Amino acid sequence: MRDALFMGRLTAGATHEMQNILATIRESGGLMEDLLAVGGEGFAHAERFKKGLCVLAEQVERGMALSEQLNYCAHAPEATPAGAEVNEAMRSLVGLYRRDAARKRVNLVLAAGRTGLRTSLRALELMGLAGLALDCALALLPQGSQLMLSVEEQGGLAVLRLDSPGYEALRGQEPFAELERRARALGAGVSAGPGGQGVVLSLPKPQA
Amino acid sequence: MNKKDWKILLVDDEHEFITTLAERLELRGITPRVAFDGESALAAVAQEEPQVIVLDVLMPGIKGLEVLERVKRSNPRVQVLLLTGHGSTRDGIEGMRLGAFDYMMKPLNIDTLIEKMESAIDYAGKAANLG
Repeated sequence: MRDALFMGRLTAGATHEMQNILATIRESGGLMEDLLAVGGEGFAHAERFKKGLCVLAEQVERGMALSEQLNYCAHAPEATPAGAEVNEAMRSLVGLYRRDAARKRVNLVLAAGRTGLRTSLRALELMGLAGLALDCALALLPQGSQLMLSVEEQGGLAVLRLDSPGYEALRGQEPFAELERRARALGAGVSAGPGGQGVVLSLPKPQA
Repeated sequence: MNKKDWKILLVDDEHEFITTLAERLELRGITPRVAFDGESALAAVAQEEPQVIVLDVLMPGIKGLEVLERVKRSNPRVQVLLLTGHGSTRDGIEGMRLGAFDYMMKPLNIDTLIEKMESAIDYAGKAANLG
């Protein structure tokens, strides 16, 4: 964990810098937009210029979202007395996993789930466990599938539900055994999703 | 109050960011002063009291929250808008506890910033009338 904390500290510093860089690009783009609005008459390429500025703004937004998710990961090894907020951790994980899923032509979606649910796990442990469950599903699913992750409450516990047809085929195989081992070590439970489809991870409760 | 009469101080160690923001505000009729660190910000406040300070939380030297505390002690009428990042939202909340008017995340939306400046100036005016 000491290594993860060290890397996290470096990454947090870098994401802060990235944010400053993106904020400066955004302001500079905004200034160009302002100048075009006040004195752009007769500028032959005004429309192309505006389009370029729109692209710039969109890419800044994209960079900000990534940098925010990465910043969350940077702080993920830290222990928090209240425990990790499950939905927040899943938002960052899914945001960063989408690229991996897209490479496998799978559409990864985080369902609009319950916020405020917590677990005693550190965010890093929670993300690692959910990441393993995602890896299993991504290895199985055919191209063009949709993979949905949701955060729910069941019997007072925060649970992660991964709706992935075909997941049951994994049971008894090594990737699933690894998921079970990891879950057990963290005090989490693994069970089949409704109708035997997908998987449900029950997360340990935060200490009162 | 006309925007050209607003007394605004922008404080951030990111030179390019804050000078560009100042230029954009000037195009909208607001002429802010700029400081690049906490020490210069405190000196600028002592020289001429601003109505609103737009203050970055994470700066080398005197940190934003310390500047906020010192300004609120010496010039309680001054309203402070904190600039935070995704890693420093907690500082924004802590800043509110220390008397900041509000906090905003970078990157900024300039129209929202101007609205918040206006609200802060209105609030300071009403508070002065009540006092």
